[in-house]
Amino acid sequence: MGILFTRMFSSLFGNKEARILVLGLDNAGKTTILYRLQMGEVVSTIPTIGFNVETVQYNNIKFQVWDLGGQTSIRPYWRCYFPNTQAIIYVVDSSDTDRLVVAREEFHAILEEEELRGAVALVFANKQDLPGALDDAAVTEALELHKIKNRQWAIFKASAIKGEGLFEGLDWLSNTLKSGGG
Amino acid sequence: MFSLFYGLWKYLFSKTEFHVLILGIDKAGKTTLLEKLKSLYSNLEGLSPDRIVPTVGLNIGRLEVLNAKLVFWDLGGQPGLRSIWEKYYEEAHAVIYVIDAACPSKFEDSKSALEKVLRHEDLQGAPLLVLANKQDLPEAVSAEELSRYLDLKKLDERVYMFEAVSGYDGMGIKDSVEWLVDIMERSKRTEILRARAGVRGP
Repeated sequence: MGILFTRMFSSLFGNKEARILVLGLDNAGKTTILYRLQMGEVVSTIPTIGFNVETVQYNNIKFQVWDLGGQTSIRPYWRCYFPNTQAIIYVVDSSDTDRLVVAREEFHAILEEEELRGAVALVFANKQDLPGALDDAAVTEALELHKIKNRQWAIFKASAIKGEGLFEGLDWLSNTLKSGGG
Repeated sequence: MFSLFYGLWKYLFSKTEFHVLILGIDKAGKTTLLEKLKSLYSNLEGLSPDRIVPTVGLNIGRLEVLNAKLVFWDLGGQPGLRSIWEKYYEEAHAVIYVIDAACPSKFEDSKSALEKVLRHEDLQGAPLLVLANKQDLPEAVSAEELSRYLDLKKLDERVYMFEAVSGYDGMGIKDSVEWLVDIMERSKRTEILRARAGVRGP
């Protein structure tokens, strides 16, 4: 009964909830992005073993953001978190050009997952503050994003350290989720 | 044997899903058009024009128009993003090309981008709908004027139409999309794509 009232309340006041997964290779900047979005500041992070989860309220949407550790050995556990996910935020270190191939393969493998069929995809071309970082068009090319034809996707240049590009991405995400994207 | 019959049955009775590409340079109004289409042909509300941000990627709209299933692919039009357009050509049944009819200073850019689209062999025979968009603005030129300006060559073997529309208030959109559906259902391009899908399995 309580749940019913909560639902009614949130539907009346336009608060939507969305479950978001933040994925990407290790050292891409996932945790920094999560806390930049949540607290608005840069925190010093250590490699995530397991996950961090925080709620970010933005544009009338309550984003439940799951940041999963990205090291090779723990990537197989990502799939435990796939059910009921509305969006994937895929974070790429745009200056780590050597590993873009791996980043691409991991990303396309995720997109093949049946449980993520309806999820929209937001890519952050992160670490734009570093010299030699590829721009959005180049990262699009490297990740072969054009192969995605059955879901909405977008890419944003971002620097989690400087706080650039992140809320533009979240704007896109909230619009897309509101207009019934997928 | 079963798969043969199944393939035949599917070929004869299943509804084709038409892929329609929405192209055009940045700020032409492609996403506004797509959102308008959503509100005209589905129970989704569609985003209001003031909430739409420049597309950097792909927006999708799945709609049913005149009993046909349509998948719209709306791609970003900024110069750096135009290189991905062609990756979607092979599977497209038709192209909607959107032009801001109220901004003559960008006609040249629109024209050359469109000519490049039409030259691509992956789009051979695909019907083309050119939209003179933003008719809600007083300075917008008519569809005839725009077509005279674009002066497109090499259109002879392609079915095409110019239409004046407004993605903002919806003027002309239903007519032009329904024209496109009718054309796609009878087009050679659709036959070719269908045959190709049939050969390649499900």
